[in-house]
Amino acid sequence: MTPRRTLRVARWEATRGVSGVDRRTAVLLAVALLVLAALAPLLVAFAPTPGAGVYRVAVADGDPYRAPVDATPQLRAVDPGANAVASGRADVAIGAGGVRIADTEKGRAALATFRDAVTAYNDRLMASEGDQAAAFPVVVNLTYVERSAVRVGGTAGSGDGSSGASGTTTGATSAGTTSAGTTSATTTSGTTTSATTTSATSETATSATSETAAPDGERPGSGGDGPATPSDITPPFPLRSLLYAFVFLLPLNVVIQAYGSSVIDERIDRRGEPLLVSPASRGDIVVGKALPYFLGAVAVTAVVAAAVGAGVRSVVALLPLAGLFLGVTFLGALFARSYKELTFVTVTVSVGLMAYAFVPAVFTEVHPIAAISPLSVVVRDIRGDPFSLGAFLLATAPVALAAAVCYGLGLGVYREEDLFTQKRLPAKALDALAAPLSSAWRVGLWTAAFVPFVLIAELFAVAALFVVPEAFAIPVVLALVALVEEAAKSLHVYAGFANARFPDTDRVALAVGVAAGVGFFVGEKLLLLTRLVDLPNVAVGGAAFGGVELGVGSLALLVAPLALHVAAATTSALGARRGRRWYALAFCCAVGLHLAYDYAVVSVLG
Amino acid sequence: MDSRLTLAAREFASLRREKTIVLAIAIQLFVAAFSSLLVVGLVSLYAPGAAGGGLVVTVGVAGDAGGDIAPTVGASDARHVREYGSAADARAAFRDGEVDAVLVADRLSNGRTSVTALVPDGSFTTTVVVTQLKDALTAYERERRADLSYRLDRQPLDVPPERHGNPYFGFAYTVLVPALCFLPAFISGSIAADSVAEERERGTFDLLRSAPLSIPDIVDGKALTFVAIAPVQVAAWFALLSLNGTPIAHPVAALGFVVATTAVLVVGGVAVALAVPKHREAQLVYSFGAIGVFGAATLLPESPQNAVAKLAIGSATPTTWLTLAGALAVGVLGYVAVREAAARAWDS
Repeated sequence: MTPRRTLRVARWEATRGVSGVDRRTAVLLAVALLVLAALAPLLVAFAPTPGAGVYRVAVADGDPYRAPVDATPQLRAVDPGANAVASGRADVAIGAGGVRIADTEKGRAALATFRDAVTAYNDRLMASEGDQAAAFPVVVNLTYVERSAVRVGGTAGSGDGSSGASGTTTGATSAGTTSAGTTSATTTSGTTTSATTTSATSETATSATSETAAPDGERPGSGGDGPATPSDITPPFPLRSLLYAFVFLLPLNVVIQAYGSSVIDERIDRRGEPLLVSPASRGDIVVGKALPYFLGAVAVTAVVAAAVGAGVRSVVALLPLAGLFLGVTFLGALFARSYKELTFVTVTVSVGLMAYAFVPAVFTEVHPIAAISPLSVVVRDIRGDPFSLGAFLLATAPVALAAAVCYGLGLGVYREEDLFTQKRLPAKALDALAAPLSSAWRVGLWTAAFVPFVLIAELFAVAALFVVPEAFAIPVVLALVALVEEAAKSLHVYAGFANARFPDTDRVALAVGVAAGVGFFVGEKLLLLTRLVDLPNVAVGGAAFGGVELGVGSLALLVAPLALHVAAATTSALGARRGRRWYALAFCCAVGLHLAYDYAVVSVLG
Repeated sequence: MDSRLTLAAREFASLRREKTIVLAIAIQLFVAAFSSLLVVGLVSLYAPGAAGGGLVVTVGVAGDAGGDIAPTVGASDARHVREYGSAADARAAFRDGEVDAVLVADRLSNGRTSVTALVPDGSFTTTVVVTQLKDALTAYERERRADLSYRLDRQPLDVPPERHGNPYFGFAYTVLVPALCFLPAFISGSIAADSVAEERERGTFDLLRSAPLSIPDIVDGKALTFVAIAPVQVAAWFALLSLNGTPIAHPVAALGFVVATTAVLVVGGVAVALAVPKHREAQLVYSFGAIGVFGAATLLPESPQNAVAKLAIGSATPTTWLTLAGALAVGVLGYVAVREAAARAWDS
């Protein structure tokens, strides 16, 4: 790979994108962009509430309750009349006999919204009272205190060391590597006492009673700091991250659409052939073609970050995600047989990656699991939490490595015999997996390279299952872990045998199996990253990743997982040599072996 | 008509042959199931009363107004109150995990009550605990306002009694359902543009033209399959949502809305692909155009998202039905207009 040629391909790709557009297309694009530019300020100015008017309240015009209903977008006033609720015209009816509601989920939800509306209306009414102490007779100082369970063996200090075992001032600065940060506007500014770690639970940041709790004559909570009224309390519910997911990731969809089109374009009518026979290497072509789109993604991310008030940290955290979007799209465009297929691949990619980025980030303020999402870095950055290297690495490293592996696999099939043929998608995928395998040593290397995908899949499984009861979730997670890990160790081995990359003998199968097992074991040490954010503390996370740390200290515990990986990988490699049916059977055996081992570890040592 | 059906069948066969559509739908279903699970999970966390109320929060109460606040805190089934003689005792109990939260309430000279609350951080119970404390303290604030009402010029309105409503009930209808309705419509338009662009780039479009098919026939044949698959997907979503406890009040009307939207987007996609020769540019024009149409429609008196949400939740207004009728009219008119325009542009 030579930088000069790479840059030339990149420049060619960028200019081709601009100069290859005819006049009519340019006009259409310009019109579309102008309409969007004109719409944006209008949308900001008249942003409609998505839930406007979904609940109907029957209330008379002169009723005192009319004002709160009119002030709440979700509520819509309808004519009172007789039997407004019974006839289905309204969900809540206010009349002489008090409040009647429909006996449905919707009716109760409407009442809850109505109660909130009345409470908010009362607060507005009280704000104009002269005697503020009577208008707001309760003020609250809410302090979030970390109460983590101490692990066995006196490791309390080390486990939570970074989250500040003592002496942090307010909740907002006690974040550390776990999700300890508090966000409510209602934290106190009182002095702190140091924490106690001697009892069965440890307390890390205790706020002393504040003597200055209630300034007189003012409505509390208006300054954003200090004591607040009960209605100012906001339980942590960062639906904001949904917004971030959309503003950061939607533009990436446009980028990958253009990129995927460009890659598949090369494959139609053998258009990419001149470039392939040019002196530029495959690496030059692939990197050069991706570079303009990657830079475009960086620029868009930077603009969005500046707009929402995020810093460089957020942009850097999202770069690997942009890389993974491009990498998976690249593979998809190499495998797809038509534009339609590419569109489905693109949608699948964006839905999957957005779910991976968004779903855990919902819990940023609640739960350590959120740290796996690059968006959690953005949320914390915007909130001004201190930088935590462990959380940052967990959020970005697996994604970055996965993007690199995607490109590695794609490079292997960026050649004439794969680019210009129409094979079924799984066959192409097998080709891509088999292409880099030239020796047993390479098998081990690639097995290690798949570990980031394993990590992503397992983290996602943990994130998806942690709301389910533990008794049910842990066996399911163990089964998923076994399935994912065995697949990562054997799919490419099967591809190698299917494509006749290795001599078809048992001896070779043994060698390849051992290489895959050892490679996976080495790669798995990457999972140590999860320790950086205390993920094994979560019960489900412990089941998935707890075994990793057992290797520390005892030789037997270091050798056992290695033996397991080698044995399971060899089993499936021996099956893979004999064809598809045998591979399926051997794969099931390997998964069973793995599951039995994991179950034994969790139940004996866990 | 026969030749158009043949073309539609060909499109469908090509979608079926590329089994990725099956994969894509399976993944969509996975995401739907997952987000439903998430919504149910969130609801049970953030509105514990709504989901049957399994979790009871134990609150330790201390301070000189502790005796006054305790009955209010204990008034709900979801809260259990324990009184302590001193703030230090209550804190110790909190540290030992005997109580989930501590309220230290002190009465000030001006009649105000100052409450210091300790809640656990970094765990799932945090949200439940804070929600319950907010509920209790808001109730207590109402009581104190009533006690001090002689000092107020205007009286606050009475708040009706609670019935364990779920405040996130609307989320599924106002965010999830519109997203699930319009995503398949958008994809259908996108693959319609793909299909035409591909025929043109591979040079098979001229073959198609040499068949006994007029341009409007080609538009019909291409559009039929792509318009048909969106409501099928949305109907699957609706069935799934109903199973997950989110029944759809007017499924047929909502599906009609989806068909109308899909028709507009699909003929739009076909038109763009006929007007723009290159696939990549055609996709960009289509995407920006579709986003622009959605953005503009948001400024209507009732936006499409809101109309679908109201149809789904069962709060349709006359405006909603007008919007639906308008969408159907735009769908039909847009279809006819694009069909004619394509014929004229291509034949000239």
